[in-house]
Amino acid sequence: MDTLLALANGFSVALEPTKLLFCLVGVFLGTAVGVLPGIGPALTVALLLPVTFKMDPAGSLIMFAGIYYGGMYGGSTTAILLNAPGESASLATALEGSKMAKAGRGGPALATAAIGSFVAGLIATIGLAFLAPWLVEIAIQFGPWDYFALMILAFVTVSATFGDSPLRGLTSLFLGIMLGLVGIDKLTGQARMSFGVPELLNGIEVTTLAVGLFAVGEALFVASKRLREPEEIIPIKGSLWMTKQDWKRSWAPWLRGTAFGFPIGALPAGGAEVPTFLSYSTEKKLCKFPEEFGKGAIEGVAGPEAANNASAAGTLVPLLTLGLPTSATAAIMLAGFQQYGLNPGPLLFAEKPDLVWGLIASLFIANVMLVILNLPLIGLWVRLLGVPQPWLYAGIIVFATMGTLAVNPSPVELGFLFGFGYLGYLMRRYDYPVAPMVVGLILGPMAEAQLRRALQISLGDPMILLENPGSATLLGISFIALVAPFVMKGMNRFKAAED
Amino acid sequence: MLTSILKRTAVTAVALAGLTTAAFAQLELKIMAPAAPGGGWDGTARSMQQALTASGVAKSVQVSNVPGAGGTIGLAQLATSNKGDGSTLMVNGFVMVGAILLNKSPVTLAQTTPIARLTAEALVVVVPANSPVKDAKDLADRVKADPAKVTWAGGSAGGADHILAALFAGTVGADASKINYIPFSGGGEALAAMLGGRVTAGVSGYGEFEGQIKAGKLRVIGVTSSARLANAPDAPTFKEQGVNLEVLNWRSVVAPPGITAEQRKTLGDAIEKMAKSKEWAEILKARGWDDAYLGSADFETFLKGEEVRVEKVMREVGLVK
Amino acid sequence: MTPDNPARGFDIPALVVAGLLFAAAGIVLYDISRQTIVSTYGVGPTAMPYVVACGLGLLGLAHLAVAFRGGLPKPEAADGGAVAWIIGGLVAFVAVIGLGGGFVIATALVFASVARGFGRRALAVDLAIGAGLGLVIFLVFAKLLTLLLPAGPLERLLV
Repeated sequence: MDTLLALANGFSVALEPTKLLFCLVGVFLGTAVGVLPGIGPALTVALLLPVTFKMDPAGSLIMFAGIYYGGMYGGSTTAILLNAPGESASLATALEGSKMAKAGRGGPALATAAIGSFVAGLIATIGLAFLAPWLVEIAIQFGPWDYFALMILAFVTVSATFGDSPLRGLTSLFLGIMLGLVGIDKLTGQARMSFGVPELLNGIEVTTLAVGLFAVGEALFVASKRLREPEEIIPIKGSLWMTKQDWKRSWAPWLRGTAFGFPIGALPAGGAEVPTFLSYSTEKKLCKFPEEFGKGAIEGVAGPEAANNASAAGTLVPLLTLGLPTSATAAIMLAGFQQYGLNPGPLLFAEKPDLVWGLIASLFIANVMLVILNLPLIGLWVRLLGVPQPWLYAGIIVFATMGTLAVNPSPVELGFLFGFGYLGYLMRRYDYPVAPMVVGLILGPMAEAQLRRALQISLGDPMILLENPGSATLLGISFIALVAPFVMKGMNRFKAAED
Repeated sequence: MLTSILKRTAVTAVALAGLTTAAFAQLELKIMAPAAPGGGWDGTARSMQQALTASGVAKSVQVSNVPGAGGTIGLAQLATSNKGDGSTLMVNGFVMVGAILLNKSPVTLAQTTPIARLTAEALVVVVPANSPVKDAKDLADRVKADPAKVTWAGGSAGGADHILAALFAGTVGADASKINYIPFSGGGEALAAMLGGRVTAGVSGYGEFEGQIKAGKLRVIGVTSSARLANAPDAPTFKEQGVNLEVLNWRSVVAPPGITAEQRKTLGDAIEKMAKSKEWAEILKARGWDDAYLGSADFETFLKGEEVRVEKVMREVGLVK
Repeated sequence: MTPDNPARGFDIPALVVAGLLFAAAGIVLYDISRQTIVSTYGVGPTAMPYVVACGLGLLGLAHLAVAFRGGLPKPEAADGGAVAWIIGGLVAFVAVIGLGGGFVIATALVFASVARGFGRRALAVDLAIGAGLGLVIFLVFAKLLTLLLPAGPLERLLV
C-alpha cells in the first residue's frame, strides 16, 4: 500500500506541466537519436549532461529517462526498415523485422515493436515500482559462474535456430567468436589478435560488424542480382496496421519477451542482448507457423522487442535501489544523479521520495507518450521504403557510415565496416547465415570473461560451476536444450518404425 | 506546434551551451579526448570546453574524440599529426601511464608537453559490511598469509584500481605478483560482486562507492589520500593506519611535442586562468571532482615520478615483462 | 549426394572456405604463441583461443569433407559491374576521409556510386543529392550533438 501511495505521489510530481514538458523533450530526443546507428541513449545523455547541470534535477532526470526509453523505441525502427541494427540489442529484431518490411509488412512490424515495447515497458515499470527491492537482492547473488551458465544457455538456444545447415551456421558463429578475441584481454590487459595494429586494441565494435554484415552486405547482395531477379520492395501490402491475426500472434510473445527481459536486465551483468536472443529462439520454437521464420514472422519481432524494452526497465532496478550502473546508459544516468549531489541507493528512496517516485511515474508517462508518438509515425517511416531503390540503398550506406564515424572518426574503423560488408555479401552468396557471427562476437567475450572470473575466484576448480545451484540449473537446462532435439528425433524414428 | 517549440528550445539550449563567450578572448583551442564520447576523459574535455568559453579565456574550443587502447591511440596521434601545434591539447590521466606500458605504446608521455594537472580523486578499498576484515592491518595480514584467498574486485587490468591493489600488497610486505585481482567491466559489476559477497575487497574511486558506504553496505578499509576526505571524515586513510600508501587517480592536460616555449606559456596561462575561474569551480562541485591543479613545470616533475612508480609496480605484478 | 560437377569431383568454393578456416585457426595459434602474460589464478588468456582454434580446425575439416561430397550451394551469377561500382564508392569514401577531404565530399561520392550500382545514370544529380545529404548530416551532428564528423576544407568554412 505504501508503494501505491508513493507512486500516486510520484504521479503528482510527474504530471506537473514543466515535468511533462521535460519528459516530452526527452522521448523526442531519444527517439531521434535511437534511429541513428551507433548513437545510443548513453551518448545522448552524456552530451546533454554539461548543458543540464543548471537545470532542475527532477526535470532533467525525467528527461534522461525519456531519452532512455525513447532510444529503445528508435533502435527498432532502423533495424526493421533498413536492416541496420544500431545497437546489439536490436539484432534479433532486425532478423525477422527487415524481412517483414521488404514484404510490405513494415507497418505491422513497426506496430508490434512499438506496442510490444509499450506493453513490456509498462509491465516492467510496474515491476520496477513494486518488486525492485526483492529482485535486486536476488540479482546481486548472481556470481560469475551463474552468468557463464546463462551465456551458455543463450549460446545453445540461439545456435539451434540459425539456418538449415548446422555446418554453415557454426562456421559463422565461430568466426564471430574469433573476432571476439581481438583486442585487449579484459582479465590480463594484454593484446590478443591485434598484431601491433593500435586500432584493433579496443576490439571489434559490435555495431560495426552488425551494420557491415547486415546493411552493407545486403546492399551489395541486392545489387549483384539486380538484373537477374530485381528485388521488389513493397512499402505497404495489405494493411498498414496490425490485423486481428497479427494481434493474436503478438500478445503472447510480448509477455514472454517481458518475462525474459525484465529479470535478466535487472542482473548486474545480464545485459539486453541475452534476453533478446532467448526470446527469439523461444518464439521460433513455439511459433505455430515455423516455416515463416526467416521470411518475416511477426513473433520474431514482437518477442525480442518486448525483451529489449523490458531489460531497459530492468537495468533501472539496480540503478535506483543500489546505485549500480549496469549499462552504459545507466552509468551516465548515475553521473546525472551525481551532478546534483544525489546518490541513488536505498538512502535516496528515503531522502528524496518525490524525486525517485516522480522518476518512476514519469517512466509510465514516457511510455504512453512514446506509443502515441510512434504509432502515427509508422505510416511515414514505411513510406521511406517507397524511395527509388538506388537512392534507398545509397541512403542506407551513408547512414551506416555516419553512425560509425560519429563514435570513432577513423578511416580504419570505416575500413572494417566495409570489409565486413563485403564479407556479408560473400556469406549471402554462399548461403552462410550472418547473424550467428554477430551473436558470437557479443556472447563469446562475455562468456569467456565470466568463466575466467569464476575460475579465478575458485582458484581454478571447475566444480564451482556445478556446486552453485543457479549455474548448475542453467547448465542443466542448456544440456537438455542441446540434446532434446536429437532425442525427439530418435523417438520419432522409433515411433515411425513401430507403426 | 508545442512539440516543435519544445524541440527547438532543447536544440538551442544544446547549441548555445558552447557559444556563450566573452567577446575579448582571442584564443582558439582544440581539445582531444582520447576516449569515446561519454567516458571520463571526454567528460573532462567537454567540461573544460564549457569553462574555457564561459569564463572568457578562449574564444572557441572544439572537442574531438580519438578513442581506443586506454588513450594511447589518441596519444600517438597527438605526437605525430599535431606535432608543433600550439593550439591543441589532450586530456589524459593516471590510467594512461599504465596503458602506455601495457599496450607497448611506441609514444610515451615523455614525448608530450605537460601543461597542467587538473583534478584528482582518491581511491578507496572497501569490504562488504558483514566481512570479517575490519581494517587495513587485518587485510594486510590476510594478504600476507595467502594472497590467493584475498580476491580483489576493481576496474580494468593495469588501471588505477589494479595498481593500488598491487601497491598495497607490496607496501605491507606481501608478494605483489601473487595478488588475486579480478578486473570487472564497469564499476557496477564490481560493486555487485562486492555486495553479493563474491570477493574479499573492492577498489574504486571514492565517488563510485559513496552511496553504498553511506548506506552501511560497505565498510571502508582505507582511502588513498594523504588526509581524510572532506566529504567522508569517518573514512580512515591508509597512512594513519601505518600503511604508507598514497595513490591519486589524477587527470591532466598535455600539449603536443615540439611547441615553442612561448606557446607552452600561453597554453599554461590559459589553463591556469580556467582552473582558477568560478565556472571551473562550479563544474568541479557539480561533478564531484577534487581540484588538484599543478602548473606546467610542477606537473612535469610529478608526471616523471608517477611514470617510474607505475612501471615498477607493473613489473612486479607481471603486467610488463 | 553426388557432386554437381562430377568431372572435377570437388567443389572449389568449399575448398577455399576450408583453406581460409585452417588459415584462421593458424593465425589464432600463432597469436597464442606470442602471449607472454599469464593469469596467476584460474585459466589464462590462451584457453579460449585454443578452443576457437580447435573449432575452426574442425569446421575446416568438415568443409573439406563437403568439398568432395556435394559442395556448397551454387550461387547465381553476380552482376560484377554493380558490385564494382558500390565497392569503388566505399573505397573512395575511405580514401577521401583518410586524406582529409571531409565528410560532405565523401558522402557525395559514395551516394552517387551506390546509386550508379543500382542502375541510375544521372551521376551529376546524384552527386548533388549526396552532397546535400552529407551537408545536412554534418550540420546536425556538429550543431545539435556537438560531435564533429571528419572535416575537410569545405566543412571548415561552416564550423
